[in-house]
Amino acid sequence: MTATVENLVNQPYKYGFVTDIEVETIPRGLSEDVVRLISAKKNEPQFMLDFRLKAYHQWLKMSEPNWPHVHYPPIDYQDITYYSAPKAPEEKKQSLDEVDPVLLETFDKLGIPLSEQKRLSNVAVDAVFDSVSVATTFREDLAKEGVIFCSISEALHDYPELVEKYLGSVVPINDNFFSALNSAVFSDGSFVFIPKGVKCPMELSTYFRINTEGAGQFERTLIIAEEGSQVSYLEGCTAPMFDTNQLHAAVVELVALDDADIKYSTVQNWFAGDENGKGGIYNFVTKRGLCAGKNSKISWTQVETGSAITWKYPSCVLVGDNSVGEFYSVALTNNLQQADTGTKMVHVGKNTRSTIISKGISAGRSQNSYRGLVRMGPKADGSRNYSQCDSMLIGSDAEANTFPYIQVQNNSTKVEHEASTSKIGEDQLFYFAQRGISTEDAVSMMISGFCKDVFNQLPMEFAVEADRLLSLKLEGSVG
Amino acid sequence: MTVEVNPEAIAPSSSAAQDRQAYLAHLLVQRPSMNGLDEVRDRALSIAQERGLPSHRDEDWRFTDLSALYQTSFTAPTSTALALQDIDAFILAEAPVRLVFVNGFFAPDLSATDNLPAGLSVSTLADVGNLVELGQQPGMTEVFTALNTASFADVALLRIAKNQVIEAPIHLLFLTTGDTPIITSPRGLVVAEANSAATLIEEYVAVKADSYFTNAVTEVCLGQNAQLHHHRIQREAKTAFHIGKTAVSQDRDSRYALTSLSLGGQMSRHNPMVVPTAGQTDTTLNGLTLAVDKQVADTHSDLSFTGPHCTAQQLHKCIVDDRARAVFNGKIFVPKLAQQTNASQLSRNLLLSTKARVDTKPQLEIIADDVKCAHGATVSQLDDEEVFYLQSRGLDHNSACDLLVEGFASEIIDQLPIAEQRQTLLNAVLSQIR
Repeated sequence: MTATVENLVNQPYKYGFVTDIEVETIPRGLSEDVVRLISAKKNEPQFMLDFRLKAYHQWLKMSEPNWPHVHYPPIDYQDITYYSAPKAPEEKKQSLDEVDPVLLETFDKLGIPLSEQKRLSNVAVDAVFDSVSVATTFREDLAKEGVIFCSISEALHDYPELVEKYLGSVVPINDNFFSALNSAVFSDGSFVFIPKGVKCPMELSTYFRINTEGAGQFERTLIIAEEGSQVSYLEGCTAPMFDTNQLHAAVVELVALDDADIKYSTVQNWFAGDENGKGGIYNFVTKRGLCAGKNSKISWTQVETGSAITWKYPSCVLVGDNSVGEFYSVALTNNLQQADTGTKMVHVGKNTRSTIISKGISAGRSQNSYRGLVRMGPKADGSRNYSQCDSMLIGSDAEANTFPYIQVQNNSTKVEHEASTSKIGEDQLFYFAQRGISTEDAVSMMISGFCKDVFNQLPMEFAVEADRLLSLKLEGSVG
Repeated sequence: MTVEVNPEAIAPSSSAAQDRQAYLAHLLVQRPSMNGLDEVRDRALSIAQERGLPSHRDEDWRFTDLSALYQTSFTAPTSTALALQDIDAFILAEAPVRLVFVNGFFAPDLSATDNLPAGLSVSTLADVGNLVELGQQPGMTEVFTALNTASFADVALLRIAKNQVIEAPIHLLFLTTGDTPIITSPRGLVVAEANSAATLIEEYVAVKADSYFTNAVTEVCLGQNAQLHHHRIQREAKTAFHIGKTAVSQDRDSRYALTSLSLGGQMSRHNPMVVPTAGQTDTTLNGLTLAVDKQVADTHSDLSFTGPHCTAQQLHKCIVDDRARAVFNGKIFVPKLAQQTNASQLSRNLLLSTKARVDTKPQLEIIADDVKCAHGATVSQLDDEEVFYLQSRGLDHNSACDLLVEGFASEIIDQLPIAEQRQTLLNAVLSQIR
């Protein structure tokens, strides 16, 4: 049986190809000049340069966090390329026809067709290749509703006052080491603005692709939902297979005003390194949502299957009264992958509610840790939290840890936390075998059952995709 | 023994670190002189110096502020004579064997060691001289434990011989007395040989003392198939500091059950550390913490399996009132060797006032795959519906609340073996929250 489960997990990474395209990169290393250069290349307004420089100087004073339950050799921050972009004519593409066909082909191959005939009819996509956004689909249709969906570089030119108002308002520059680094050198990312009372007519999606070897990717996403608006946003990511580790340090900020509703889903499938742990992406990401308004809601759903190391805590700061935070997560680690992921729910306002459902699956020799914080502030009267984190271990070398921090400063609140760890039982497999179902099918059924609470939260198309991704990733590890 | 050196302790990087270093030096001067065990004490001394005292920047002490302790200077304990009537309130008629230590010194006049049941031997350092089992339990390199090893004035040694069952509970009473602020280092060592069974009540109390620092360590060594019911009752003065370690090793097939009550001290901390060194052991850890006024009560438990087929159950309850704060960190570590482990852990917290605060972190680290481990945590106030239910049956609001708190506390207190003591402690808990 062991052999079959192992086969189940060890599927080759099918997004590992490199696109051969002429790129414009800057020399490796980070200095004040590099920060100025990035800003100049993007022709940014003065406030942005000031923001970056402030972040850079702050970053110099900070040290890398060492509390996560992950191990990796020290990162040489002077050996990373901080800007890399496909060579392009000076002006921004007016339509998709002008985008380099090689790029379109790359995204086609990744399953994200951008051209008008093929693209998904109900999903607007912003495709980011290394440091720049190459195309954004359905912009005109969205503009009719007043929805702004573009790359953050464009937003800096077209809507500087909005960016200036909200950038860094949820994740301050000095929040942590990686967010400071990101604030100094971020290259591109998506910007979403949903005006008052608008229900975004389609799913918004950003697809991130790292291509250049030795380049770091530092994207910045900012989503603002005004009073009474609604949006569902999905992010996906892949990278080629390289022997060396690459750094991905992104920052995502969400702002929900009164009665607004933001749903943010991630399917993360960066290259995870080979079976000996060589190569792969270091995914050190800061994601945080601010429920600033009354009755607002932010919901995070993540399916984490890739990356050599994941360090990520999508959080909700529930400031508005009656606001709601949700976190649904499936984190799968295999081979020598390491994940230290979870969420933070900070209850500030009255009657705020949060739900945490976390499912960790660790196979091979991987480490999978859930680290979560639930804090009930002194003024969070009547607030509630329910957390459930379950871990499944596949193979006797895998590791599963839970570190839930619960801090309560208000006695009218209620906090409940449950966690369990188990494996797929022999008796369960036997039950399936009795009914003529092979071990592999039985395991994949049980895993999709284990993750169902989370997959149910994903937009339809992606739920199917996530389920398939998980069974591919696990192929060969069960048994 | 390997000692990890904390670089910060050797080269203090800040004035705060220097202050802590100076404070440790101050504590280390306050050691009563003693004959024998020089090697053990000297080694502990150097461990304590290498480790240095923690600050809130250390993950283990993140939620418990020691600065009030670091601002109090203590003097060395002295052997003080007390009369039997001074400790009358603490004597348990149903525990005929009693060892009493005053300020860490053995008090033979207050103890009752005649008529020992067959198979039980009790002794102190004066009787045994060299103790091979001393300092052999896990967790001895932690700074406060090392400080105790370097500073204790005497050791309470209980040995239960092979194949013997001791029916009546054994009472170990550590008293602190005196007007001047002193640091005492009570030390216990319990050796339960193969197939033996016993019940131990370990109690920390004060007689006419308010400001002092108890830094206690009790080591428990269980042989194969041995069984110990261990009841640890911490009832220090409200203004005292208490840091205690219960270090336990369990051999194959042994059973260890700890009931820990933490009621006193302006700052108290208990670290139960249990290491089953072989398979098929059973461990039960139960705790009740009551924190009122401005008390800070901290429990950091650590259960690290090393062999297969072990079971463990842990239930820790906190009642927090006024502006007090309770901290719980429960770590369960299941390495690859510990297949077929079945462990559960539950942290339940009751907040009775708006300013009360709880920080809880049940923590599981699991590397073995064929295990069942679960943990849970709840924090809430008294349930309005439960109060209403009782009121609808004719109880007034306060009585209804009292009854619910009593029920919450009784789940732990009822595990104590002596009825009279159960009632005393339950009354002590209820009188604090009224």
